Amino acid sequence: MTGQTSQNTLDSQDTINIQGNHACALGAVAAGCRFYAGYPITPSSEVAERLAKELPKVGGVFIQMEDEIASIAATLGASMGGVKSMTATSGPGFSLKQENLGYGMGAQIPCVVVNVMRGGPSTGMPTRPSQGDLMQARWGTHGDHPVIALTPGSVEEIYTQTARAFALSEQLRIPVLVLFDESLGHLVETIALPDVAEYENTVRKWASGKPEDYKPYRPDADGVAPMARPGDGYRVHTTGLTVSESGFPTQKSIEVDRAMKRLFNKMEINKDLIESFEDVDCEDAEVVIVALGIVGRAARMAVRELRAEGHKVGLFRPITLWPFPTQTFRKLTKKAKSFVVAEMNSGQMILEIGAAKQGKQTVCGLNRYDGDPISPSQIINAVKEVLDHE
Amino acid sequence: MKSHEMRFSGAGGQGLQLCAKIFSSALTGEGYHVSLSQSYEPTSRGGLSRADIVASAGTPDYPLTTDLDTLLILDQAAAEASEGLIRDDALVIIDPRRTKKPPKGKFKVIELPLSATAIALGSERITNVVATGVIAELSEDIDLEIIENALRSISPKKFLTLNMDALRAGVDLARGAKAA
Repeated sequence: MTGQTSQNTLDSQDTINIQGNHACALGAVAAGCRFYAGYPITPSSEVAERLAKELPKVGGVFIQMEDEIASIAATLGASMGGVKSMTATSGPGFSLKQENLGYGMGAQIPCVVVNVMRGGPSTGMPTRPSQGDLMQARWGTHGDHPVIALTPGSVEEIYTQTARAFALSEQLRIPVLVLFDESLGHLVETIALPDVAEYENTVRKWASGKPEDYKPYRPDADGVAPMARPGDGYRVHTTGLTVSESGFPTQKSIEVDRAMKRLFNKMEINKDLIESFEDVDCEDAEVVIVALGIVGRAARMAVRELRAEGHKVGLFRPITLWPFPTQTFRKLTKKAKSFVVAEMNSGQMILEIGAAKQGKQTVCGLNRYDGDPISPSQIINAVKEVLDHE
Repeated sequence: MKSHEMRFSGAGGQGLQLCAKIFSSALTGEGYHVSLSQSYEPTSRGGLSRADIVASAGTPDYPLTTDLDTLLILDQAAAEASEGLIRDDALVIIDPRRTKKPPKGKFKVIELPLSATAIALGSERITNVVATGVIAELSEDIDLEIIENALRSISPKKFLTLNMDALRAGVDLARGAKAA
């Protein structure tokens, strides 16, 4: 990449000025979402507002529920009914959704949960950006479980990654989280809406064959068990309890072991499908900045300016935060002597980088949690400090 | 196409988002890529409120403001919020009636009776439109006609005349300042 801005000049005929939260709503509809249940909360409310207008136009259903718990419950229920479904929330709302999120993971019910991150803990700062929910996204619901969390870094990426979240969710029978902060949710950018037909066309595997042979949790070679379409004549029992392939509860150790492996195996088998990231000049970089979301944008500007001054600096920006793309990260940052992990929290992703790094590289945190985004100059200063110590 | 950063700041309820919306729609019409961001407090009125524009030739690396070319301050609540972000050659416009202590620096601060003009026209609530006229006239790369069209397209019918009067009053204020 060269120059201050991308080389594409925009033809105003093909572009629109659109807010991140609205792009999220449109990305969902483009991917085939036809059900939304939610409870409004700043700074995610515009996702619901836009879907309340868009879903009826395409024969979809929008419901404002009594609270966040009911919202995710309705979303899971609609998905079990065979419809691509979503809910969106922020801050305390994401906490309220955790139990049923675990239900979705355990019972393997596809759905998309959007969390527009604001300052916390508790009600915190409703109108200010934060990246304080990165670890909550990973481990917020109880019990051992896999998770997929996507972290877009622009309005355009909010559109595409929301659409992609549906595809991953449907294909792998798992709730997929989309995380971005208030500043991106409320940011308006000039974009041309990308084509997301491939995500729209990705649909869940439905059961076929004799109903008497059907086992709702018997995985195929891709690790994913086909779901039964309501009305097709298959018998299904769904519960939050640990189940055998039949869908009925079990505590037999051999069946429980298989049940847990079912949850994790599909993640390993489909690793390449799930993984996504942006690499800016990592190959020869001695200092690699790790940042996501809006901080990734600041870091990209910092890399450009530092490179112009002759410093070997790169950026690794996870788009799929969970599962963290550890192998790829290691491969791309072989030459790195230090990592600067810039995040709008007191240090969450840095824990993952500490675990993912392979050598004796130093890992420094650049943390900001005062309600303002990390600026490019803060990152430049942090990198220069590291360079001075080398 | 040079990139340009603008900030409209003041207290919640002063119509700063609308200012930014008008300019972003005008800049989009001129072929710019626009990144429009905002910050506000959970109160429905009062507290710091701002709306920022980064206008550039393509998608910028960083879409938030770092070097303001144009800054509007309509209330003391916003006087300190842009510290460290204002270019030396920036155009800083303030309303002295509500901003007693303007920011200090190498940049040029233009004090204009924005809210007093709005009150004389009939409502303090159109201070933002007076300011829009001022900025449109003082900014070299923004065509006044495009701003007029943008305002016309988003103005409710019953306030159209008042809004257009406020815009013209702002343009006159700016012309007076340029002449002086």
